[in-house]
Amino acid sequence: MSASFLRMAFLVSLGLCALGLLWRVSAWLRVRIGSDARDIRFHQRLFAAVGGTFAALFSRRIFGLVKAKVLDVLLQRRLFNGCWLRWLGHLLIVYGFLLLLVMHALGRLVTAKLYPDYASTHDPWLLLRNVFGAAVVLGIVMVAAGRRFRPTSTPRPRRLGDKVFAALLAVVLVSGFLLEATKVASPKAFYRMANEYIGSTDPEELLPLRLAWATDFGVAFPDLQGTPDPDKLAEGRELHHDACASCHSPPGSSAFVSYPISRALAPIAEPLDGVDADTWLLYLHLAACFLGLILLPFTRFIHVLADPVSLLANGAASSGPLSPAGRANRRALAIDACVDCRLCDDRCSVAPIARSLGNPALLPSHKLLATHAVATNPRWLDRQAGHARRIAEGAVLCTTCGRCTDRCPVGIDLADLWVAGRADLARAGQPSPAQWVRERSALDWDEALAARGAVQDPIGPLSSNRETYSACVQCQTCTNVCPVVAHGGEEPGPVDLTPQKVMNLLRLGMVDLAIGSSMVWDCATCYQCQEHCPEGIRVTDVMLELRELGYRRLGDTRERRQPE
Amino acid sequence: MTQTQTKTWDVAVVGAGMAGMAASLFAAERGLSCIQIGNGGGLLFASGLLDLLAVHPVAARRVWDNPFEALAMIRRDQPDHPLARVDDASMRAAFQSFTSALGDAGMPFAPLGDRNASVLTSLGTPKPTYGVPRTMAAGVDALAGRPPCLLLDFRGLREFSARQIVATIGDTWPGLRMARVEFPGAEATSELYAAHMAVALESGEFRERTLARVRPLLGDARVVGFPAVLGLARSAVVHAAFEEGLGVPVFEIPTMPTSVPGLRLNAALEQAVVTRGVHRMLRVDVASTSFDETAVLTLDGVPGGQRVSARTVVLATGRFSGRGLSAGQQGVTETLLGLPVQQPASRDAWHSRDFLDPAGHAINRAGLATDDDFRPLDATGRPAWPGLYAVGSILAGQDWMREKCGSGLALGTARVAVDRIARQLRAPSGVGEAG
Repeated sequence: MSASFLRMAFLVSLGLCALGLLWRVSAWLRVRIGSDARDIRFHQRLFAAVGGTFAALFSRRIFGLVKAKVLDVLLQRRLFNGCWLRWLGHLLIVYGFLLLLVMHALGRLVTAKLYPDYASTHDPWLLLRNVFGAAVVLGIVMVAAGRRFRPTSTPRPRRLGDKVFAALLAVVLVSGFLLEATKVASPKAFYRMANEYIGSTDPEELLPLRLAWATDFGVAFPDLQGTPDPDKLAEGRELHHDACASCHSPPGSSAFVSYPISRALAPIAEPLDGVDADTWLLYLHLAACFLGLILLPFTRFIHVLADPVSLLANGAASSGPLSPAGRANRRALAIDACVDCRLCDDRCSVAPIARSLGNPALLPSHKLLATHAVATNPRWLDRQAGHARRIAEGAVLCTTCGRCTDRCPVGIDLADLWVAGRADLARAGQPSPAQWVRERSALDWDEALAARGAVQDPIGPLSSNRETYSACVQCQTCTNVCPVVAHGGEEPGPVDLTPQKVMNLLRLGMVDLAIGSSMVWDCATCYQCQEHCPEGIRVTDVMLELRELGYRRLGDTRERRQPE
Repeated sequence: MTQTQTKTWDVAVVGAGMAGMAASLFAAERGLSCIQIGNGGGLLFASGLLDLLAVHPVAARRVWDNPFEALAMIRRDQPDHPLARVDDASMRAAFQSFTSALGDAGMPFAPLGDRNASVLTSLGTPKPTYGVPRTMAAGVDALAGRPPCLLLDFRGLREFSARQIVATIGDTWPGLRMARVEFPGAEATSELYAAHMAVALESGEFRERTLARVRPLLGDARVVGFPAVLGLARSAVVHAAFEEGLGVPVFEIPTMPTSVPGLRLNAALEQAVVTRGVHRMLRVDVASTSFDETAVLTLDGVPGGQRVSARTVVLATGRFSGRGLSAGQQGVTETLLGLPVQQPASRDAWHSRDFLDPAGHAINRAGLATDDDFRPLDATGRPAWPGLYAVGSILAGQDWMREKCGSGLALGTARVAVDRIARQLRAPSGVGEAG
C-alpha cells in the first residue's frame, strides 16, 4: 500500500471525523430540553457557551476547575469512588488506547520526532506496544467484570454507533496483535527485509541469518528443523548484529502477547504467507482505525470531548446560577457527556421502586435517553407502543432528590434535566397525573368512573380499612395546619376539598369522588396533618394511597376516552 | 435490625398532653435525663387558657375567685382528690415555671397572682381561669370594666361570631359593638381557617391591610377584641403591632377547639421541652413493659422495635380520648399496664339518671388510685412499682372539666411527682441504683 494512499485515507477520515464532530458539538447549542429552552435562540446559546467558558476559565475558580479536571477527567475520581474495579478498567482502556495512538499509530509523527532511533520492532517500543495493548484487553475484562458483579444491572438499549464502534475497536485490537504475530512468524517478511537491507533473497546464502532469526526471533522457516549448527548460528547472530539489531529486538520476551500467538501460527506460517495474510491484516487494521475515526463522533465516546465541557459548565454553574441559555446548553450536552457508567442508577432513590414495578424506565440512565429522545423527536414517544405510560412514570416517580447529580462522574445536572424533561413529556402527550387530573373536576371524574361500571381493583389497605379514619372527629386540625389549603386562600377555589372533608368522603364510602379531588393531587405530602392529628389518623398516608388509586383508576378511564 | 437503647434514663414520661409536657419540663428543669414517649396531638384541643381550679363543689357550682381557697376546701372536703395532695407552694411553683417556659418559647402570659381571671369566651359567656396568655389579657380588664368595646369577626371564619357574643352579653355591656370585615386576600373564598389567617398576619403586609380595614370602624371604642388569630409562632409581635396600629388595647377571644392558641401552646411546649434537653419519641406506642430494677418499655412504630430503659416512669396517658383509659362492657381498664382502675361497681352506676346532673357522673371520677406521692396502687393497695408515677387526668377522684382544674391537675400533680422522683433518685438506696 502506498504511503500517499495511506495519507489520503487518513486525511479523508480525519475530515469526516471533524465534520461529524462539528455536527455533534453544534447539537449542544441546538437541542432544546425543557419549556424554558424553547424560546432561546441559537446565537444566545452560543454567547452563553462562550461567555460561560470564559467566565469559568478566567475566574478565580479556574484553579478549582483545573484541580477538578485533573481529578475528575484524568484520574476519573468520582468513578473511583463508585467501584474501583471499573475505575481501574476504565483507566486502563483509556490510557492504553491513548498511548497506543500516540506512540504507535502516530509513531512517525510523534515518537520518531522525540526519539530519532525509533523503530517499532525495537525495544522499548515493541514491549510498550504489547503492554498498552494488553492493558486495554485487561481493562475491558475488568469493566465487564465490574458490570457483571453490580447488584442492579438492567440492560439499557445501546445505540447502533456504539455497537459498531465497539466492534471496530475489537477488530483494531485483534488485528493488531494478529498482524504482529503473523509478521514474527512470516518467512516472507524476513526475505522482504533481507532483500531490503542485505540485498539477498537466497535461502542458502542467508542460512546463518535465517538460523539466528529462527532461533532468536521465531521465524517459521519450514526447512529449518532440528538443532542448528552452532558455528552457523554464531555467524548468523554476528550478521544480525551488524544488519538488523538496530531495528529489531527479540520478540520472545518483549512481545509477550503476540509472540505466543505467533507460536500458535507458526505451523501455518507458509500458507498464511501464501495468501498475503500480513498485508490483509494490515488493511483490516487500518480500515478499522479509519472507520472508527469517522464513526467516533457518533458514539458515546464523544464523551471524551463532552466530559471536559460538562465539567467546565459544572464549574461555571457552581459560581452562580446559569443563565437560561447556559442551562439549555448544559442539558443538551448531557446525553453526550454521559459515559454510561450507571452510577446514577445505583444511587437512585426510586431504584427500589423500579425493581418492584419491574420498570427500568424509572432509572436515570434510561431516563437520560428518553428525555433526550422526547425533546428531539416529538413522535418518539408514540413509537414506544405501550411503553409511553411506563416511560412517563419515570418522570412522575422521580423525587428530584439530586442523588444522581451528586454521583455523576462527569458533572451532569441530572435532576435539572428530569424537571425540564417533564414539560417535554407533557407536550408529547404524557403530562404528569397531577396535570391531567385537572382536565376534569372531581365530580366529572366520579361520573366518568360511574359510567364505566363497577371496577374490581383493590383500594389501598389504609383507605379500605374503616378503622383508619373512623376516629376522625372532624376537628379541622388537619385543614388548619395544611399549607396547601392556606395557599388556596389567595385565589378562588384551587382546592376543592379540605383534608378533613376527604376523610369524611372516605367515611361515606365515596372513594371515587375523593380520588379526583384537587386536594389529593395538590397535597404537598408535608405530613403536617398527620403529625398534628389528635386522633393519630394517617391523613397524609391516606392521601398518597388515594393518589395511587386515582392514578390507576382515572388513568385507565382517561386512556379509554383517548382512542389515539 | 433491632435497636437497643443502652442508656438508662432518669425519667420516662409516657404521654404528650398537658400533664406529660409538664412532667417532662419539670424533670428537665431539675436536671434529670428525660425521655418523652407519646402520640401527641391532644394538646391541640387546649384553649391556651390555664385553669387552676375554679369550681367546688361541683354539685353546688360554686365558683371561686381565689383558686387557693378552693384548693384548701378540696383538701378539707375530698382528701382523696388528687389536688388535695398538691400543696400551695408546689402549685404556685408549677404555674410559675410552666408559664415562664412558655414565655421563653414565644407565648408570654399575664402575671400570675392569687385570683382567678374572668375571660370572655366565643360563646359570649364569662369563663373563670387562672393563667391568661398576654394576647388575651386586655379582655379580662375589658370584661371587668366594660368600657366602649369593638368586637371584630371575619367573613368566612365559621367558628367565631362577634354578633353572637354581643347578643349574649350586650344587655349588660352597653358599649359593646361588633363589626365584620373581609380578611385581606380572601374576598373570593367562602371559608377561612384560623391557623392560615394567623400565619398570614405574621406578614407585615397582611397586618397593614387588615388594620386599614379595622381603623375606620373604631369609633369610640377604647378596646378592641379579635378572634384568636393574631399570629401563630410570633403572636407577641403581631399582638403588639395591632395595639400600636389601632392605638388602643387589643385582646384575643379564644375560639372553639382546635384553636390557634392550642396550636401555639403545643408548639411552645414542644420548643420548651426540646430546648431543655428532653428526648422526644412521638407517634410511637408502648408495646410492652417490664419492671425490674429499671423499667424497660418496648416501643411500637419504630422500625425494628426499640427498647427504652428508665429508672422511673411517669404515666401521663390521659383518660378516654387520650386512650390512657378504655371503657368496655366489663368496666374501665388502664390500657398500658393493666393497673386496677378505681370505678363504679357496675356500668349502671357510671352515669346519673339526669344527663345534666350538676354533681356530674361517677364515671368522670374513675381513674387510678395513688399514694400521696402519686404512685398508682396495685390490687393489694401498695405502689405497683416503686418508680412508677401517674399524673394528670388519668387520676381518680377528680372531675377536671366541671371543676375547671385541667391545667391545675396536670401541672400540680406533675410537679409533686417530679419532686418525689428527684428525691428518690438522690436517695442512697431505692429504685434505679442498679441501672
